Amino acid sequence: MTIADLFSIMPIMITACAALIVLLCGPLLLTRTLYGIGVIASGAAGAWAAFTPAATTPALPGLAFTPFGRFLIPLFCISAALTLLLSHGYNERRAIKGEEYPATVLFALFAMCVLPCATNLLILFLAVESVAFAFYILVTMDLNRAESGEAGLKYLLMGAVAAAFTAFGFALIFAGSGTMELSAALAGAENRAIISAGWGVVIIGMAFKLSLVPAHLWTPDVYQGAPSPVAAFLSTSSKVSAAALLLMLLAFSPPMPELRIPLYLLSLLSMVLGNLAALLQQNIKRMLAYSSIAHMGYLTLALLTGTREGYAAVLLYGAIYTAMNLAAFGAIASLSIDEERDQISDYSGLGFSAPLRGGVLALAMLALAGIPPTAGFTGKFFVFYAAIRGGELTLAMVGIVSAAASAFFYLKVVVHLYMHRSEAPSPQGPPAAESLALCTAALCVIALGVFPAPLIRLVDAALG
Amino acid sequence: MTSDFPILTLLVFLPLCGSLLLFALRRSDSLVRGGALAFALAELALCIRILPGVNLAAPRAGAPAGFFLFEDAAWIERFGIRYTLGMDGISLVMALLTAFITVIAVLVSWKGIKERLALYYSLLLALQCGIQGVFLSLDLFLFYLFWEAMLIPMLFLIGIWGHGRRVYSAVKFFLYTFLGSLLMLVAIISLYLMHGAQTGSYTFSLAGLMQTEVPYGIGLWLYAAFLLSFAIKFPVFPLHTWLPDAHTDAPTAGSVILASLLLKTGAYGLIRFAYPLFPEAAAAFTPVLYLVAVFGISYGAWVAFAQTDMKRLVAYSSVSHMGFVALGIAAWSPVALSGALMQMVNHGVTTGALFAVVGMLDERTHSRELSSYGGIWGKVPVLSFFFLLFCMASAGLPGLNNFIGEFLVLVGAFRVSPAAALGAFLGIVLTLVYTVRLVQEVLFGQENRPLELKDLSPREAGVLAVLALAAVYLGVHPDPVLDLFRAPIELLTR
Repeated sequence: MTIADLFSIMPIMITACAALIVLLCGPLLLTRTLYGIGVIASGAAGAWAAFTPAATTPALPGLAFTPFGRFLIPLFCISAALTLLLSHGYNERRAIKGEEYPATVLFALFAMCVLPCATNLLILFLAVESVAFAFYILVTMDLNRAESGEAGLKYLLMGAVAAAFTAFGFALIFAGSGTMELSAALAGAENRAIISAGWGVVIIGMAFKLSLVPAHLWTPDVYQGAPSPVAAFLSTSSKVSAAALLLMLLAFSPPMPELRIPLYLLSLLSMVLGNLAALLQQNIKRMLAYSSIAHMGYLTLALLTGTREGYAAVLLYGAIYTAMNLAAFGAIASLSIDEERDQISDYSGLGFSAPLRGGVLALAMLALAGIPPTAGFTGKFFVFYAAIRGGELTLAMVGIVSAAASAFFYLKVVVHLYMHRSEAPSPQGPPAAESLALCTAALCVIALGVFPAPLIRLVDAALG
Repeated sequence: MTSDFPILTLLVFLPLCGSLLLFALRRSDSLVRGGALAFALAELALCIRILPGVNLAAPRAGAPAGFFLFEDAAWIERFGIRYTLGMDGISLVMALLTAFITVIAVLVSWKGIKERLALYYSLLLALQCGIQGVFLSLDLFLFYLFWEAMLIPMLFLIGIWGHGRRVYSAVKFFLYTFLGSLLMLVAIISLYLMHGAQTGSYTFSLAGLMQTEVPYGIGLWLYAAFLLSFAIKFPVFPLHTWLPDAHTDAPTAGSVILASLLLKTGAYGLIRFAYPLFPEAAAAFTPVLYLVAVFGISYGAWVAFAQTDMKRLVAYSSVSHMGFVALGIAAWSPVALSGALMQMVNHGVTTGALFAVVGMLDERTHSRELSSYGGIWGKVPVLSFFFLLFCMASAGLPGLNNFIGEFLVLVGAFRVSPAAALGAFLGIVLTLVYTVRLVQEVLFGQENRPLELKDLSPREAGVLAVLALAAVYLGVHPDPVLDLFRAPIELLTR
């Protein structure tokens, strides 16, 4: 291992060290300092990854700083940094104390940074399960709310089953190909039946992580129970990392036409049922949970085309979805002052009494509905473009119609924010850290909508 | 001003700059009002500034035929999406109308809007940005972006400052138009891919996509998607049901912009995009368009006659008048098309003016019911005079603006399809019936209820006088406008 190798995996080292420092020095330092260390470490890791050229050779056995990682690591780092910025005030209000929270976020980030760099099935599995493991802890972090513990347990039980599926799938792929190396494991044409069976099982495991119908049942409860900033992190980075895993297996292997049918069904059901169920929700977090199911359906739609355009759309949509959902959950977290603001009707009039947070929430809703000039439109446009180009016209039409119907429930939030009046006193202003995080997310939502070209270039570079 | 000066970009984004700037001024109501008016007037001045320099015969280098102003820049190169704006005679008139009506909209809101002024005016200006963008885009992606973005400010304008069932109407308006547009998006993408597969160059530019050879069967579907989207905005029967609600519940300026500008974007889209892209499919759909146009004219008038709410009445009269535009487009002959475009301008002026007058009455008495008025001529002669004038214009009295448009449409349509023209003529009779009823019940007759009415303030009188001047000018001397339409129409109908 040379110095260059060390440099190339520096983001992983930074996040791991920061997590350990926060955990070890936790009792000695102020909570604010710990969150600060977390934010700075995530920022540094992200910046390092963004400005380091991708390496061609593995730095360690099973770990290489690929172009793919060069795209995803900064994305995960930004999302972790924003989550930490949003969490500090929220956790103080909720009396979620201690160093374990920022440390766990950093551990999750560490695992996420490893994931796109993995060149070995085993490392890949460890990375994706470490992400999930960190989230089992984060979801239960709010000890004062029973829902939080309930959600964590539910997530853990379902997640364990999913992990078993993923492990079994990898084992089948190994059995079929005889190697754990990612590049060699999938290229083998002999024993195709076993490898595709392995594939099918991995997809089941990932369907759980992406909360695709019918493996979606945990989502609404977990989103509702988890602390809002955790829900923000979970709904964005954890999903993107699961999508990244599928993408790594798919994009660097010969096309697998037999995967089209299962992915087709998952995408169809998620888009239709996700949006239909979201129509009925009165609780904003449950609504966002069903909405994320639908959004993952769009993502799967781009994935199943099996084309490069489709894979580019997946990465693009992943980045855009991260910005939108961080803005949405960030605003919810920041507006949940004394208690969780759960019902959509709790947001009446907040567009005027809390202009920044109400505005960001409204923007996020319009973006999730896919209305230009927000990034949500650009993302949907490229997903449906890739789908139509990839020959999935029928599914694209279903997706577009369901996306149109989804505008209704997103608008409901906007309507409450601006068009309903409320006698409630205006909430106290957000702390600077929350304003910073919300403004960053909102700015991304607009900037990526108007000038998506730089992001598209990055995506193209990531796919090589 | 050099020829490279990006005047179209300025035209589109000046209102948006104004919209953002108003937030900085939000502490002072009078500054906000003044700022909004200043930006609206600057936009109008910019449009007028273009007029004398117009050289219809000299298209810009690199521009598609007929476009004397053209701007083109790379935007999302990977997908062949470009930032392309262009102006021909049609766009110029529409941009002028937009700038003019926005000034009117700012002025009619002067007293009526009392809360959240900064947000109100910045939404109004943002809306103007979207509408100008629609009228000037020559790249289908860019056009679609403006087309959809235009909905957001309108949603808020109706939902926050509207009356009655404002939230219901705002959401209905939004969802209706949003749904329609999404199918157009599919059609745009399909066309783009088809063009790319045929020529190898992937582009969203209108001029490029017009070269695509679309198989007839697929063309029908794609055209239908465009038609649906535009027909909802138009609105043609039976896709008009959002319109009475949105018009009635919107604040006055919202109704004015909705009627005068937003409806025009539908017709404009049909003329600029749908017909040139799919000429064969458009020809196949012509009978359908004839049918809905002629039916819409009579139906709108018939339903208007039954209304008791003045705003609703004017809203349904819009459906009727836009039927003439649809008829002119369906006939697609030079005369009919120039009539349709003329009617778009005329309807913008007259119906906008009628909404403004009704809004002024509403501000005074807080009632729009016909039954609460009656015999107001004696009390408010100036207001009544303008009311009568615009009603007459709306009914198509010769010498006033609507007459020209309707006449040209009828003449043009009669040559192509006499039956349709005759049907439309019948509609004019019905138009007279509801207009006479409106005038009679509001202005003349017995006073139903003692009303405390003040006549027009100088601001209101000024607004209506400008609109009246426009109506009379377009009625007696429409040549300058028709001249601007001539060259683009020649290209379109070739």
